[in-house]
Amino acid sequence: MLGDIINPYHLQIVSFILINIILGISIYITLSSGQLSLGNAGFMGIGAYTSALLTINFDLPIFLGIILGAVVAGVFGILIGIPALRLSGVYLAIATLGFGEVIRVIFVNWESITQGSIGLSGIPHLGRELFKTFKLTGFDPDMLGLKNNQFIYLLVVLILLLVNILLVWFFIRQNKSRVGRAFAAIKMDEKAAESMGINITYYKVLSFTQGAILAGFAGALYAHVMAYISPADFAYHRAIDILIFSIFGGSELIWGAIFGATFMTILPEALRFISDYRYMIYGVILIAMMAFRPQGIIDVPLLKWFKKSLKLKRGVSHGIGTKKYN
Amino acid sequence: MLLEQIINGITLGSIYAIVALGFTLVFGVLGIINMAHGEIFMIGAFIGVLITSVLGLPLWIAFIAAIGVTVILGYMLERIALRPLRGKQGVSHLAPLISTIGVSILLENLSHHIFGAGNHPFRHSFAQIQFQVGSITIYLVQILIFVISITLMVVLSYWLSKTKAGKALRATAENLETASLLGVNTKRTITTTVIIASALGGIAGILVGMAFNSVNPQMGLSMGLKGLAIIILGGMGNVKGAMAGGLLLGLAETMIVAYGDSGYRDAVAFITIIFILLLRPQGIFGKNTAEAGR
Repeated sequence: MLGDIINPYHLQIVSFILINIILGISIYITLSSGQLSLGNAGFMGIGAYTSALLTINFDLPIFLGIILGAVVAGVFGILIGIPALRLSGVYLAIATLGFGEVIRVIFVNWESITQGSIGLSGIPHLGRELFKTFKLTGFDPDMLGLKNNQFIYLLVVLILLLVNILLVWFFIRQNKSRVGRAFAAIKMDEKAAESMGINITYYKVLSFTQGAILAGFAGALYAHVMAYISPADFAYHRAIDILIFSIFGGSELIWGAIFGATFMTILPEALRFISDYRYMIYGVILIAMMAFRPQGIIDVPLLKWFKKSLKLKRGVSHGIGTKKYN
Repeated sequence: MLLEQIINGITLGSIYAIVALGFTLVFGVLGIINMAHGEIFMIGAFIGVLITSVLGLPLWIAFIAAIGVTVILGYMLERIALRPLRGKQGVSHLAPLISTIGVSILLENLSHHIFGAGNHPFRHSFAQIQFQVGSITIYLVQILIFVISITLMVVLSYWLSKTKAGKALRATAENLETASLLGVNTKRTITTTVIIASALGGIAGILVGMAFNSVNPQMGLSMGLKGLAIIILGGMGNVKGAMAGGLLLGLAETMIVAYGDSGYRDAVAFITIIFILLLRPQGIFGKNTAEAGR
């Protein structure tokens, strides 16, 4: 039955993967307009702390908290994004990295509200709160042959999966729209894009803010899935992790960020049996990756090849013979 | 009191300056940010601990050993993580950044594995020697750190401006292709630059060990981030800017600890660079060109 297959630990990892995919997309979006932002860990922290504090102190519903977390992160995104327009390349990377560090130091020192480096605990858990509502309607996970615990984690995964599908769908649509083409043009050549009549100020701030909103959203989800956050969760290492998701997977395509986030979340878990060495291996993989495939695992030719081979297979099953006569 | 704080600030600042010099040399020549520099610095500090506290050998041997090890690390960094990416088609400017991040993750966890997570004391014979000048106390260590730093800076400046190798380095920094057309062995110059930068990091590691008497695997990260802040402050690739920026940051941090909220000490560097980047992207000492910050 379902109850035998489902392991809460695996579900937990799946929910981390899904949150990391949102983070991966958040940096992909800023990169798609040619801006390298390392501040996404900071925006994630803003989203997480906003939502956690609102739900703990004001008993706000979780969904409202998460949305407000994303909104507040987005406001900070606009505030940082506009002055950051003056910078590009490494300068932007260091300035945004600096922004993330400042945010972390504020979380550590603003003890009256954030409880400093101890962190916030007792954040309402997304799955458990939903489970309570389900209970009120008279639903019992036993009807599906599940234990309470399994059901809670399954709920979280399902919600995150739904969110992910919506986000990926939205951003694929956006890439094919006027906005996506403007981003691509700015990435290719900013001056040429401007001379073609693209409002680069608007589109660069838009992509920066979208990244910030997504990171804040992911942070808020993270807070309610972990039920505990501390400033160390949103430090330098997180910023680097997020960057690696996109760079490792391939920064040209949204699928790269998705693949990178999935692979890089599973890798440390898969290497758990040699846990003493796993981060060293992580480092070696990064070095080797840049030496042999610096554009990331998934790039445009690979995707084309993949689509072509998929089509060929389909062609065979439908019979190539008929095509010859057409 | 104020004078003592200024002395502390200058001591800290001269160490920062040496770390930043390593960053700025590599950025000046290669145009990349070496994220592994902080970790090479940390390895240098650990070599110092190993030689002085564990083996009980004198300090000058620690300096030689740290320089030796970091030179090897620098060579390997250039050979393994940087050279394969150079001149390759379709490599984005982010690739060297990522691969040096890979090296930094590797080194941090390696030393975490070998030395453990805790603080290691750095014992040396003259930690407690101090002078009383009027009402202020000066430690011999502080003088030593300051003298070593200044000597390094002077030697480096001389080397860069007067010797043939230094000229080759500056030519390579100006334009790699033109320099190689004019007969500069750019491959060797780049390797030399990365090696010198790493050796500077190793020396700075021992100086920090001497100054704070504690060494841990995480110190590379915070020092690396501050080094980045300093080269922004002083202007990317600008040697004199790195020295001045380092001293400024050291003084500013000491003053914040002494007269402000010590919790915000680590934020000083970044709040400053955010403002610097927005008001004067070329850095305080940078040349005013349209391309600065781009």
